[in-house]
Amino acid sequence: MLRGIGAVTSVECSKLAAQMKTRIVLAACVAGPFVFAVAMRVQSNVPADTLFGRSITESGLAVPLVVLGFAALWVFPVVASVVGGDLFSSEDRYGTWATLLTRSRTRAEVFAGKVVTALGFSLLATVVLASSSIAAGLLAIGHQPLVNLSGVLLAPGPALVRIATAWASVLPSAIGLTALAVLASVATRSSAAGIGLPVVGALTMQLYAMVDGPEVIRRSLITSGFGAWHGLLAEPSYYGPIGHAALAGMLYLVVCLTIARHVLRHRDIGG
Amino acid sequence: MDRELRRRIDRGALAMFVCIALAGCTSPITPTRIERALETTFANLVELQVARLRLPPIAAPDFAVTAICRKPAARSNAGAGDWTCALVWQGPNRQTLRDTYDLFVATDGCYTATVAGESLGGPILRASDGSDVRNLLYSFEGCFDTL
Repeated sequence: MLRGIGAVTSVECSKLAAQMKTRIVLAACVAGPFVFAVAMRVQSNVPADTLFGRSITESGLAVPLVVLGFAALWVFPVVASVVGGDLFSSEDRYGTWATLLTRSRTRAEVFAGKVVTALGFSLLATVVLASSSIAAGLLAIGHQPLVNLSGVLLAPGPALVRIATAWASVLPSAIGLTALAVLASVATRSSAAGIGLPVVGALTMQLYAMVDGPEVIRRSLITSGFGAWHGLLAEPSYYGPIGHAALAGMLYLVVCLTIARHVLRHRDIGG
Repeated sequence: MDRELRRRIDRGALAMFVCIALAGCTSPITPTRIERALETTFANLVELQVARLRLPPIAAPDFAVTAICRKPAARSNAGAGDWTCALVWQGPNRQTLRDTYDLFVATDGCYTATVAGESLGGPILRASDGSDVRNLLYSFEGCFDTL
């Protein structure tokens, strides 16, 4: 079974590596933060409406946190769905399911291999964006101490540890959102819906989170996890939102993949 | 026995549902939480600002900041949105100072505070050595736990 999943994953990865959209997304994750950091350095306006936006010209360590705050709105939903929302429906689009399933791999192995590829891409893109943001801040602006969200000055070393942890804290939500994209791709058999639905869904959740509604619902939204890192940059730090985000991410992952697997398993694929 | 057990489970589930519903309907954005967060952040920022202006250092607790926050134009004094906070604190020369901040508090417990009026200076200040420094107290942001 594991060998089968590995084989499918390997084929899917080589297919992804050859696709222009994958290269564009990864290139944007590398170049975007550098363009942003250089733009912040050469002009006087700062993104004051984003957390740490006011400090961006004073400390390069603010750059990865501003990028993290901005990425929550559009970047994470797009990165999660651009591969996850297309991996299954592309087989429908090209009519290749029948051919694929005549190979020596079971339907379960194909499903698992594709899911591993989608999750792997989301994780890779997030790690690339995090590394690039940190590097861009340090190289373009510098490693000056950072004023945290409680007005305390953080030395570069501890600040970097907290920034890396903040980026790591969004991974469960990114995984959960990717699982949602996989479900949309399997259920609708359409790449437009597979990519579009999770992005629109994430935007709707974020709009809902702005309304002063029940806290239980706000915390159970997958997008709330993208802002769970705020507690890491406060004094004393609080970790409750990160725990909730991890729980919500895992719940989305299990529920979405279970439904998606069920749908694919019972689909009548004829030649 | 089974019926009794079932009745107990039903009652427990109902109690849990009511608890969750009540907890969910009460906003965690309360005056106490905002005041505590604002007092701490403001005191820390004043300490930082004093150092940046190259004035003799003073520890944050010495500013003895107290805040009273209310939500204007709202029926309940809780929830996200616009808040006004009145601060009373001890200045570097031990004089009592009063300032008012307008806050926008988001549902996740993060807020942006902007000073009302010019009592704390403009966005840029001049340090004792003649250099320009950003006025940390003019507008700042912070976050507090909503749990």
